[in-house]
Amino acid sequence: MSEDALLSVRELRTTFRRDGAEPLTAVDGVSFDVRRGQALAIVGESGSGKSVTMRSVMGILPRTARITGGQALFGGRDLLAIGDKELRKVRGRDIAMVFQSAMEAMNPTLTLERQLTEHLLWHGLCTKAEAKKRAVRALGDVGIPDPEKRIRTYPFQLSGGMRQRAMIAMAMVTEPALLIADEPTTAVDVTVQRQILDLLAELKNRGTGVIMITHDLGVARYFCDDAVVMYAGRVVERAPMDRLLDDPRHPYSVGLLGSGVEVGGRDLPLRPIPGSPPDLSHRPEGCPFHPRCARAELPRCATEQETLTIGPGRDAACWKVAVDA
Amino acid sequence: MGLAVYLGKRGVRLVLSLIAVSILTFTLLQLAPGNFADLQRVNSGATNFGGVGTESMVGELESRYGADVPVWKQYLIFMKGAVVWDFGPSYKYASRNVQDIIAEAFPVSATLALLAVLLALLIAVPIGVFAALRQNTKTDHATMFAVTLGHALPSYLTAAFMILLFSATLKLLPSGGWNGPEDLILPVLALSLGPAAVLARYVRSSMLETLREEYVTAALAKGGPRRTVIIRHALRNSLIPLVTVAGPLLAALMTGTVFVEALLRIPGLGLYFANAAASRDMPLLMGTAMFFALILMVTNLVVDLIYGLLDPRIRTVGGGSHDGH
Repeated sequence: MSEDALLSVRELRTTFRRDGAEPLTAVDGVSFDVRRGQALAIVGESGSGKSVTMRSVMGILPRTARITGGQALFGGRDLLAIGDKELRKVRGRDIAMVFQSAMEAMNPTLTLERQLTEHLLWHGLCTKAEAKKRAVRALGDVGIPDPEKRIRTYPFQLSGGMRQRAMIAMAMVTEPALLIADEPTTAVDVTVQRQILDLLAELKNRGTGVIMITHDLGVARYFCDDAVVMYAGRVVERAPMDRLLDDPRHPYSVGLLGSGVEVGGRDLPLRPIPGSPPDLSHRPEGCPFHPRCARAELPRCATEQETLTIGPGRDAACWKVAVDA
Repeated sequence: MGLAVYLGKRGVRLVLSLIAVSILTFTLLQLAPGNFADLQRVNSGATNFGGVGTESMVGELESRYGADVPVWKQYLIFMKGAVVWDFGPSYKYASRNVQDIIAEAFPVSATLALLAVLLALLIAVPIGVFAALRQNTKTDHATMFAVTLGHALPSYLTAAFMILLFSATLKLLPSGGWNGPEDLILPVLALSLGPAAVLARYVRSSMLETLREEYVTAALAKGGPRRTVIIRHALRNSLIPLVTVAGPLLAALMTGTVFVEALLRIPGLGLYFANAAASRDMPLLMGTAMFFALILMVTNLVVDLIYGLLDPRIRTVGGGSHDGH
């Protein structure tokens, strides 16, 4: 791992318990680093394990989930090993999370004031009066007009865009070092998307580390420096954002770029990836992508998956990229 | 202002409903076989219709109980009194007016009902939360089994059992009557078990639903202590729908519980209603029926008002709009 990493995830494995069946492996050996002031995109289709990865690090998985291996180093400590009591002190204070929909992630029956100040008090960061001032300031920072008045309202009384920004204010009020944004633009209008992305970019420029979970490369490229592409619970490619867009190496990344409409504004014909992502309970042996891969070569692709370093900060989990190089 | 309009509308609807109830009840009672005069005649030994003097006796009874007046006129006479809360004297308890009987018996039933529902809530909320937090474990299943059992036991059976145990065997409590606070214990216990079981099921399922909400996860992600998150974010919102269940339960108990009142010799409204039905005591039947309808409707109105008080989303629908678009 690099010395200056803010969060360093290594070989993370998360499984889900099932009734009368083997546990399901949702995250299978995922590793990545994030630095201060860096924005990392975790890209993948739904079910690729990107959300579960980050929820594992935060310790907010559902009860049926279990972390079976790996490390998540943050500030010199392994978040997966320190126990819930210690992790709770980090959660929401040093690492904050923004969700897909503020409508669902904010409590409908509590005022913004309550929801923007309660964690300041939980973490003992300031007094109640000071907390309110900080919350008002945080609302102002995300561009909510008249924050002194707005703070007394309930989430449903805000417009969709304002609500989403209020949720970001809720995450940022503790001034965390790392922000995890889980599909923060998926549930909002295109005009609001832009506002949200600008806000996240600003946070990044002020030194916050940002992890952006998304299925949309168009959103990821807007301000992310690096990307991790996930497929069926595994990292298939890791690259600087611009390199990934210009020259994707893993056949899945190639397919993902080809199936996106607005990526890079290139006039490429739209080519969806044939087939659909595997059901995790029947994950193919070897490279999980090989049944859908146009370049798959049997039997090797069906028996092993090898991660190869391609260049600085770049690798891909496909032995064929080495053949190309 | 919005509230006054709302209350006005509800008031008009309430009055219209009461009129509908009165017509329906009156018609049904007219259609029911037998009347008070018949029963008096039978009970006085004049079983033979053809006997000497019975004609004058029938005539006299008919005029005394208003049966010689056309039915529609009887209804109008009843309604004229009902509007000013005067139902006239009861047939059976001829020395007392119906409204006086209600005024005397209702506080008894209402006290029992309030205490029983309060106790039911005190039992149900912890049990429901406890089971929900341990969903699908053996503890959950065992708790819900016990709850089903409690639900299946009719209150009069519980009451009889408790009389046997606490009064006959242990000689701790009086076996009935209505003289002091100690007389409250058995009926309240007996009446609360069924509602407690119903409410516990609601609390459990409502809690399970709320625990799956993203805002509960989000509160945990903010570093909230588990207990605080469960109480402030999950339980609070779970209890709101409970009001709609507890309200009608309370109304049902307030209008009297025939069996428990009979078994424990409590002079409640249920007992009077049952006796009135058996003896075709028209004024008492109509009076209590109208009163029950009123109680039920007022309870529903109160439930809706409380609902609005607890859930800000509904409150604003009644009041002014604060939409932030």
